Amino acid sequence: MCSFTTPEGPGPLSRCSDWGTAVEEDEMRTNVNKEMARYRRKLLINEFARERKSSSGSSDSKESTVTVELETDEVVLMRRQKQINYGKNTIAYDRYIKEVPRCHRIPGVHPRTPNKFKKYSRRSWDQQIKLWKVALHSWDPPAEEGCDLQDIRPVDLGEMETESVGSNSESQTSCQDNDDTCSGTPTKVRHVDYQAGGEFDLEVCLSEPLKDFDTVS
Amino acid sequence: MGETGKEEYKIQSFDAETQKLLKTALKDPSNVDLEKVANIIVDQSLKDCVFSKEAGRICYTIIQAESKQVGQSIFRRSLLNRLQQEYKDREELRTRSLQAWICYVTFICNIFDYLRVNNMPMMALVNPVYDCLFRLAQPDSLRKEEEVDCLVLQLHRIGEQLEKMNSQRMDELFSLLRDGFLLQEGLSSLSQLLLLEIIEFRAADWKMTDAAQKYYYSEVTD
Repeated sequence: MCSFTTPEGPGPLSRCSDWGTAVEEDEMRTNVNKEMARYRRKLLINEFARERKSSSGSSDSKESTVTVELETDEVVLMRRQKQINYGKNTIAYDRYIKEVPRCHRIPGVHPRTPNKFKKYSRRSWDQQIKLWKVALHSWDPPAEEGCDLQDIRPVDLGEMETESVGSNSESQTSCQDNDDTCSGTPTKVRHVDYQAGGEFDLEVCLSEPLKDFDTVS
Repeated sequence: MGETGKEEYKIQSFDAETQKLLKTALKDPSNVDLEKVANIIVDQSLKDCVFSKEAGRICYTIIQAESKQVGQSIFRRSLLNRLQQEYKDREELRTRSLQAWICYVTFICNIFDYLRVNNMPMMALVNPVYDCLFRLAQPDSLRKEEEVDCLVLQLHRIGEQLEKMNSQRMDELFSLLRDGFLLQEGLSSLSQLLLLEIIEFRAADWKMTDAAQKYYYSEVTD
């Protein structure tokens, strides 16, 4: 009774070892589909708005093509959603959204959730997630030492929980050396500006390639 | 919650302390042990058929409350996993206590009816529910009036939805019921009547026709 398909259903349930998990995955899948529909509508609306603008003479194109290819593979979307959920299911994220409502977010300063519908290589996506989660740590609840979260100071790596301490220390130390990116604003949140451009330039911030990523897209 | 709440969720059968626990679960789920609450509800529905008939409601409300308050689904997960456990041991359950088995089927069907995922029934429960109904359609169960009664009641309540999720299995189930009605020995006349009614009910697209209403549910005056 561990795996079954219903002929008129959406297909085999993945790893349905228990009903609790199966239903949660079901829920995630339908939520992702709803979000996808909403996102497509948003893109469509933006497209019309841009066409109207350009037809009236102003050149406004940030993107050369109007049609953008989206990630539609359900397996990929579910995996990405799970990763996002891990990040959002933290006290830090809770505190972050309470403190900074979306309308007050400053791009490049405030962390932004990676967009799961955009096409990215596996490596690029995983890196975006890591950096996003690192950025969220600014909103971790105060530890016993009574550190003030508003104070941005060189990070004590001992306090941070990261999946791969090695790669993080590389990114931190190499950025400390780079004066342009490390003055005033916390280095860890600066990495999120790539999202505006859509291209992630890893090499700028890292002097050594990260060891733990697979290169499979 | 008051008396209407008690009546609505049918929790009068619980002792005072448990009633209090359930009320807290409904209003303030993050402050109770939700796994414990899930177990209490399942245990009770195996004992009390009146409770299991509508237990889906209280479960639904707790799930909504937990989701709204903390954005989690611990209660739902515990409930479903416990349900699954009982499902795995359903044959032993039936052997041990026919009444508990009937309560279980009533309960799982009610859960299927009430608990939705983004307005869709829970996929994970479709086949298990069918399995339970198929069990009720076996010869030894058809010979027991209480099981036939349970079977037709569930089909009245969720048959149409179930068919939408998997019409092939519904065809197979009704094939068994038709054979049972025509060929089965040891069927009480009430059981035969119940089977005939459900067969006609489905044939009429899960609707009550005037003729059926007259035949099955009115007093015969001639």
